[in-house]
Amino acid sequence: MGEQNGAPAASAAGESGEDAYIRAEVEELEASPDYDVALESLGQWELAWRRFRKHRMAIVGSALFLTMVIAGVVGPFIMPFDLYKIPYPDIIDSFGRGPMLTHPFGETARLQWDVLMLVVNGTRLSLLIGVLASLIATIIGTIVGGISGYFGGWLDTILMRIVDSLLTLPLLFIVLVFTKFLGSGNWLSVTIIFGLFGWLGIARLVRAVLLSLREEDYVDAARAAGVGNLRIIFRHLMPNALSPIIVATTLSVAGVIIGEAFVSFLGFGVGPETPTLGNILSGSQDTIINGNWWWAFFPGAAIVVIVLGINFMGDGLRDALDPRAKI
Amino acid sequence: MTQPASSAQPQASPDAGRPLLEIEHLKTYYPIRAGIVRRTVGHVKAVDDVSFQIRKGEVFGLVGESGCGKTTLGRTLLRLEKPTGGEVKMDGRNILAFKGNDLKALRRRIQVIFQDPVGSLNPRMPVSDIIGEGLMAQATPENGWSERKTRDRRTGDFLEVVGLRRDYARRYPHEFSGGQRQRIGIARALALDPEFVFADEPVSALDVSIQSQILNLMSDLREQFNLTYLFVAHNLSVVQYISDRVGVMYLGKLVEVADVADLYAHPRHPYTVALLSAVPDPDPRVRKKRLVLHGDVPSPAKPPTGCRFHTRCWLREQLGNPERCSTEDPAARDMGGGHQVACHFAEQVSRSVAAETIQGVIAPRAQEPNPVVAEA
Repeated sequence: MGEQNGAPAASAAGESGEDAYIRAEVEELEASPDYDVALESLGQWELAWRRFRKHRMAIVGSALFLTMVIAGVVGPFIMPFDLYKIPYPDIIDSFGRGPMLTHPFGETARLQWDVLMLVVNGTRLSLLIGVLASLIATIIGTIVGGISGYFGGWLDTILMRIVDSLLTLPLLFIVLVFTKFLGSGNWLSVTIIFGLFGWLGIARLVRAVLLSLREEDYVDAARAAGVGNLRIIFRHLMPNALSPIIVATTLSVAGVIIGEAFVSFLGFGVGPETPTLGNILSGSQDTIINGNWWWAFFPGAAIVVIVLGINFMGDGLRDALDPRAKI
Repeated sequence: MTQPASSAQPQASPDAGRPLLEIEHLKTYYPIRAGIVRRTVGHVKAVDDVSFQIRKGEVFGLVGESGCGKTTLGRTLLRLEKPTGGEVKMDGRNILAFKGNDLKALRRRIQVIFQDPVGSLNPRMPVSDIIGEGLMAQATPENGWSERKTRDRRTGDFLEVVGLRRDYARRYPHEFSGGQRQRIGIARALALDPEFVFADEPVSALDVSIQSQILNLMSDLREQFNLTYLFVAHNLSVVQYISDRVGVMYLGKLVEVADVADLYAHPRHPYTVALLSAVPDPDPRVRKKRLVLHGDVPSPAKPPTGCRFHTRCWLREQLGNPERCSTEDPAARDMGGGHQVACHFAEQVSRSVAAETIQGVIAPRAQEPNPVVAEA
């Protein structure tokens, strides 16, 4: 069989016939390129992890993102300053003071909060909002897109026209209005609002993926073998739709963080009593002119690092989760 | 192995030669929808009133241009497409009306091999699941396929049947070559112990050197498992090599059905003659006249009146464009020996110069022991 793998048997000179034969046989087996793979064929997630590890930008991105997650989760507990206690600075300076040993990111103007303390707290909340809102958006988007793509017909038409008309609205302004009047500065309601308006893209994506997957020969093969609808959805369609969904969710976290920062910066989002990266920036805007750059720079940099990290990670995931990609 | 092309005689099996599938007036139309309310404004007649029989144990080859309805016909038999009309009888029952448990049981008996060895295997499943899934769906108390162990054993057995190693079951599709993937597809179909296999251009996506391996494998398996094939291809040499009987389709209609040797030696339909004249000959010294059809295949949404082929028919031209061709749809006529033709002037074909040229080239090759499998 010409297409099967197998290195030619190594010649073993100076041995009796049978020994040489057995040795050649063993050598051939061990020399064949798939000897190890045959013994333990790797699962798809393991293969994806291998590809991800080889993706340099993805590793850099994940490192950045992870650093920020750790800063956000652990930071608030190990900071010597408390968000809920008005600071008593040793030197009163209403313009705030620049980075120094005791306050590496400097102090804000007016009340002289420690900027590092604000940034770790803001990072925590921004990440939480980003992840939660993206999960809500993904769940809604997957359900709507899944129904639309799998069942098709008039249901698909109605759902997609709804999505189309929602997409024509200037979404950011709608979110501004909603967060102002329904959000009332509460971070959880802001999260839910972002989740409820962020599913449109994911719904379209899932629908498109399912529409093409539905036509795949392997789905027909399963149908032709009498495999039921539910099993086709969960064993054939969903696993193959999963990687674009994961990638879209990851990237949407970055989108929500930026969106929330934007809304909060304008003063419509989360209230100042719970700092997010956006509303820290919002507070800083009128003192930048006085030379208090650190109040704006560090939270701004935190946003850049998080978003960059997530985007690199997303690109790496996209490549890693493609089963056709080479290791 | 035996030479399938010359084995038109019934096989050893007692019920060989009896019809396994009786296809009667089968129609599969696709609606064309337009406007906001998706109103149906017409139909694409992919398969339009096709009747023929597939005998037990035979390989029925189906040829025709792209888009003539070969694949749709097969998919309708598989119950993957909704038929618009007609009947398909298996053991005297119309399988197009099957539902629920009947349909599920039918699915085990009728299996499919796809054209694309990449798209037909789920990239996220190991081979054991790809083959085992059908077994699980078809599990009964008698076959014990609900047990993972039984399924795995059967999967391994059938991997060996198609010439692969047992332990390949643990691998994923991307770890295989095109030929190996096609073997997996064959193993998946055969593991269910089917009687009838629809092979939808099973070799056209493969490398030429692999094509013959897969064809020979399919021939061997037919004998080993008493299979009946409906073999769709647009490579005429491949069809000649593997088939016992051949049907020629044009624009949703079956225009000619005959034993393979008869069809290739004495084509009776002008379209078949034109098709055969396009088969390349490996001998460069052979000069043959090619019958080039003019124009494109008409749209199956608006097929021509009368005989569907009349707009491009060379015979009609030679006969001075008789009116009958464009007004009357020719019914299939038996020309003797089960050779069926749907042409008003089939008798004229054998007398025409064009047909003689074809017969001179094609006829001797039908008897050759090993016809070269080449891309048409």
